[in-house]
Amino acid sequence: MTARKSGSRLETEIERCRSEGQWDKIPELVRQLSAKLISNDDLGELLLGECKLQTYLKENPIKQGASPRGPRPKLVEVRKHLTAALDRGNLKADYLQEASLLMAKLCYVEGEYRDALDHYSRVNLDDLQLVGAPVYRLSMIAEAYATKGLCLEKVPAASPSLSNKNRDQEIITCYEKSGDIALLYLQEVEKVCVSGIQNRSPKPGPTAQDQELGYFLETGLQRAHVIHFKNGNLTRGVGRFREILRAVETRTTQNLRMTIARQLAEILLRGMCEQSYWSPLVDPPAVSPLDDPTRQGHIHTKSYNLSRRPRVYSGENLFCPQENTEEALLLLLISESMANRDAVLSRIPEHNNDRIISLQSASVVYDLLTIALGRRGQYEMLSECLERAMKFAFEEFHLWYQLALSLMAAGKSARAVKVLKECIRLKPDDPTIPLLAVKLCIGPLHWLDEGECFAKMVIDMGEKAAEFRAKGYLAIGLVYSLKATDASLRGTQEEYQRKALGAFQRAQSLSPTDHLAAFYLALQLAVSRQIPEALGYVRQALQLQGDDVHSLHLLALLLSAQKHYHDALNIIEMALSEYPENFNLLYTKVKLETLCRGPEEALLTCKHMLQIWKSFYNLTNPSDSGRGSSLLDRAIADRRQLNAMTLPDFSDPETGSLPSPLSSPSSPSSPVFILLPAPVPPPKPPSFHPPAPSHVKAPPPGRPESNPRTLLSPGSVHATSIAASRVEQALSEVASSLQSSAPKQGPLHPWMTLAQIWLHAAEVYIGMSKPAEATACTQEAANLFPTSHNVLYMKGQVAELRGNIDEAKRWYEEALSINPTHVKTMQRLGLILHQLQRYSLSEKVLRDAVQVNSTAHDVWNSLGEVLQAQGNAAAATECFLTALELEASSPVLPFTIIPRAL
Amino acid sequence: MLAMDQGVVEEWLSEFKTLPDSAVSNYAASLKDKGALVPALYKVIRENYSDLLEPVCHQLFEFYRSGEPRLQRFTLQFLPELLWSLLSVSAARDPHTSGCIEALLLGIYNLEIADKDGQSKILSFTVPSLSKPSVYHEPSTIGSMALTEGALANHGLSRVVYSGPHLQRETFTAQNRFEVLTFLLLCYNAALSYMTSSSLQSLCQLSSRVCICGYPRQQLRRYKGISTRMTVTSEFLVQLITGIHYALCNGEVELGSKALDDVLYRAQLELFPEALLVGNAIKSSLHGQALKSNTKQGARSIQVEITPTSSRISRNAVTSLSIRGHRWKRHDAVDLGSPDELMEISEVDEGVWPGGAGPDMTPPTITISNSVTTASLGAKAMKKCRLGGRTSKDKDKEASLSITGRAASENTELSIKRLTLTSSQSVPKAGALSSLTRTASAVFSRSFEQVAGSNAPPSGNHTASEAGRYSCSLQEDGLGYLSPVSNHTQRSPSISVHLGSDL
Repeated sequence: MTARKSGSRLETEIERCRSEGQWDKIPELVRQLSAKLISNDDLGELLLGECKLQTYLKENPIKQGASPRGPRPKLVEVRKHLTAALDRGNLKADYLQEASLLMAKLCYVEGEYRDALDHYSRVNLDDLQLVGAPVYRLSMIAEAYATKGLCLEKVPAASPSLSNKNRDQEIITCYEKSGDIALLYLQEVEKVCVSGIQNRSPKPGPTAQDQELGYFLETGLQRAHVIHFKNGNLTRGVGRFREILRAVETRTTQNLRMTIARQLAEILLRGMCEQSYWSPLVDPPAVSPLDDPTRQGHIHTKSYNLSRRPRVYSGENLFCPQENTEEALLLLLISESMANRDAVLSRIPEHNNDRIISLQSASVVYDLLTIALGRRGQYEMLSECLERAMKFAFEEFHLWYQLALSLMAAGKSARAVKVLKECIRLKPDDPTIPLLAVKLCIGPLHWLDEGECFAKMVIDMGEKAAEFRAKGYLAIGLVYSLKATDASLRGTQEEYQRKALGAFQRAQSLSPTDHLAAFYLALQLAVSRQIPEALGYVRQALQLQGDDVHSLHLLALLLSAQKHYHDALNIIEMALSEYPENFNLLYTKVKLETLCRGPEEALLTCKHMLQIWKSFYNLTNPSDSGRGSSLLDRAIADRRQLNAMTLPDFSDPETGSLPSPLSSPSSPSSPVFILLPAPVPPPKPPSFHPPAPSHVKAPPPGRPESNPRTLLSPGSVHATSIAASRVEQALSEVASSLQSSAPKQGPLHPWMTLAQIWLHAAEVYIGMSKPAEATACTQEAANLFPTSHNVLYMKGQVAELRGNIDEAKRWYEEALSINPTHVKTMQRLGLILHQLQRYSLSEKVLRDAVQVNSTAHDVWNSLGEVLQAQGNAAAATECFLTALELEASSPVLPFTIIPRAL
Repeated sequence: MLAMDQGVVEEWLSEFKTLPDSAVSNYAASLKDKGALVPALYKVIRENYSDLLEPVCHQLFEFYRSGEPRLQRFTLQFLPELLWSLLSVSAARDPHTSGCIEALLLGIYNLEIADKDGQSKILSFTVPSLSKPSVYHEPSTIGSMALTEGALANHGLSRVVYSGPHLQRETFTAQNRFEVLTFLLLCYNAALSYMTSSSLQSLCQLSSRVCICGYPRQQLRRYKGISTRMTVTSEFLVQLITGIHYALCNGEVELGSKALDDVLYRAQLELFPEALLVGNAIKSSLHGQALKSNTKQGARSIQVEITPTSSRISRNAVTSLSIRGHRWKRHDAVDLGSPDELMEISEVDEGVWPGGAGPDMTPPTITISNSVTTASLGAKAMKKCRLGGRTSKDKDKEASLSITGRAASENTELSIKRLTLTSSQSVPKAGALSSLTRTASAVFSRSFEQVAGSNAPPSGNHTASEAGRYSCSLQEDGLGYLSPVSNHTQRSPSISVHLGSDL
């Protein structure tokens, strides 16, 4: 220090050092001070005493929970200074008070609690002025209240006159006042710092980050609520938390706020419920179940006033939570933003500890966020929050796994699978993770190859996978089963069907009490047209799970394949009594009713479906009801929902197209089929032999490798057929899971369902030979999906009914241009070409159709007719035989209408 | 059942019947003094064939219908036991179905789904946002990071519906059973603080049993009741977990942690992501925290300690906050002009990026999801551009504004558009058809009016335009289908590329 400072500047400097805690500079300043005026000696003593005490405390911090350690040699000097300052009595009143406060603090540090209390009673803390006090004094007063509280807790209730309850109350009040003043002090000191930095920018003092609260202020800020909770007084504890949090943040309180925000959120989530909640801005209930009932008669309201209080957040339109989840979420978001900011990124070993600390504090927050948002079903928001946790997530399984699950719950399947892959890498022994991935691959994603890999991982775990082993076989069976459906080559189809069957059998033997294993085994047998075997297993599945909708549906379809239509209808009606809103069952019902009870009944069911559709989708749209009332709120919410809707993770370009539940073999009993006269074709020599269907004993007559082009041509359009089957599958899933938990997969499904209902109605009308009505129904569907191949197909059917062969041909061709592998369209087109005597083209179309679906008996039949017309009687006979055999095991709707999912 | 218990229950049954309306409140307050009553009622519910079951259920329903909160909670405390009774009977396919329990549960459900005016009740809450000032924070002090990440997606507060509206139900079917039960648990969870420990214990027991019956774990728990598997839904499990969480933190440590394990076990077997998510979070958040078991009645074990307020992270560690400062400095290195500082910065950077923990390098994490959607949309949009659809940029922007509960208003908005279409274009011709189409049109126009009515006053214009736009994209999707190329294979690589860089 060179230049001497003038008196007032010196005092300002001292004040600044005292408020900023720069104790090392005090001795030099005191030297300058005493050089100026003799009367400053007392002040000097005070300052020296203070700075030595503070330095001592900084070097030997008192730990929370530890008791002070009695007299210390180093403190003797402090006592000398302070005694000197007090004894001479030359000090101004303010400084005298300060000296007493310091003396009391010293007494506490030395374990002399009664002496400390004596000093406090002499000063009378409540008389100390808060208004206009220098910043450092605020801190002194706050510490004094805290210390007084500490002393009162240590000293056994001496005077019996004070009842215990009052004493407890006095202690708490001390801490609460201390905390309030401490907050005020921190706000003020920050104000000073900020202006200080602005004034003398080049050399900022130690940043506020350096400022540590110290034992006394920390105690003052936190001890009150700790006592409240210890006493089982949750109401006041929560109230205290809220007071601290409502005070405007300072840099020093950031960590405290982060902790308290998290703790309050914990309490809101663990110890409160909607009914026991009260909003931060209203008075707590007089009687609350949250408080310990054995300690009645708490004073719930604050019993003191301060002349100056810390600033709280204020302003117009402040958001104030009205519900415990809202408040917990708000607190956690605040906590999260801070935890996130403290994420330790460096990976050098020296920072290992820091990294663990930052990870721990963040993951607690993220876990609580998960609990809060999960309760409210807000998985979309949750997945966004958890993505922010990824900066902590390097090699951290829990965070990765939670992200994956949240993405899955939010319906972001593709990303979920990617994240699950990382989870598998981190924890290769857990069979659940690959199974979750298979679930997504089989379901919304239809990534069958990936699904196969994941399922194999589970199987490869062998015995280690324990109960999940059967699930693994089930999963791989489903993958193969779906692959078989997608496959365009019969050889591949058969191979996959065989593999699927094997896997399901394995799953069933591993877990004989799992109805799903039995059910899928039955379904696979049904698809392979082994009807009696399938019936056996579906019965077994129903014994295990009597009200499983898919098993009941399969049973009905199996009965219909055996042509027991009345029994099938009974089963469907029974199933409908348990699942009245299941459209899949209703579609089957329409078909069966047309057969058993005539088309009028079927039309009534169609009407019923429309009513269900209306009541169901009208009701489950909470859209407008709960939203904010302001125009802006609504506008934002509207936009958001719209956006969410255009972008379901599941969404693919195909979603827009109408799925085709009817794309596989058409029913023999279809009204259309019955009504249309079979065209009589003139004979012509055959060019190719028809390929044989799977699982039907009729072998392909010679030259199995026939023409590579026929084999390839479906392959070239294979992509679209997969697309179509995906959509079909997605739809049937939705139809069956309308009520279930699955995130609604897209906004189009209700409309797809509606269009499908119309198409079913149209088909019934066609069966009744009522072209006008059928046209109207088709038009309704066309209004929804004008470019759906199913709509176009239906238009072709109507045109055929009206006798407009050319128009029908045009519609069919359009339908095929959209979905080149739509078997039913191919079959109709083949027939029309046949009628037009374009035999070889007709044969080509029909052969392609058989390639796509070898169990479509009507296609075989048509093919037989064409071959016959071409004069190839032998091949035609084979075809007819095949058709006959297939027809005998053909259900009213394809078995694949039943969704296959894990 | 002991004669004494029977006496207590019978007294309780007759007492309330003769009670004048004015005395209900006092009566409700005095209920908790009847110590023998609650255990006796549990016994009645457990013994399915008791003659008392029907009058008891009836009276519990009367309690609930009275509207007096204390009486309602008295009924609610038996909910777990009632649920178990219902589920076990239906799982055992017992012909003696407990019709009165079904009636009681459906009665409570039907009361709760409607508000006082008989309108469907909708439970909603506000999703708080850091970009709006609140009683606890000021957006500017949160720092730019949280704002850039969150604000784009969640600008402003939004109100989200988490339950409702629900349909009135007359009977339990396999389809609606868990929908009803889940909602009932939601009601129970809303009153958790008022539940006695015996009720919480019953909830834990219910959770364990529902989840393990019929599975190998049943042997482990040595539970010998019914051994058929019960179907569950993910939402139902999540509601159970919520209750278990409360029990776990409020004295029922042993039963609670068992129940949580059992629910997680089942959620794993069923591959339910929602239940796994919440259950894992609870397990992990309680990990290492010594939970005090319920030593004295009614003691809630929530405790806090004084925590150090200073940052526990050493100052020279590179954190998200500090690294942003560093990078900022590097950009402005010319102004700083200190070579030493520059050296230090680049060292720090190198220390960090290869370490693999640098997601902060790419700006806000939330854009990860956006960029992925853009990628898939990009391909989609390209195919569609000749159709004059929206640009992918638009979609991207909107994509970032996604929230859940979306299927909701879309449908209504769609229906506005669609219904106008159908009602105007489908003029029923004649005969049998007209009956069907008329029904449908009537159905539609009614729902249309409803939708329009609810939407019209505040933001009619807006909604209409939105709906128009949406239906536009609907057709695009249909047309986009014309393209014969499968999108599936195209899409996945683009996603993985993005992930590679971001994660």
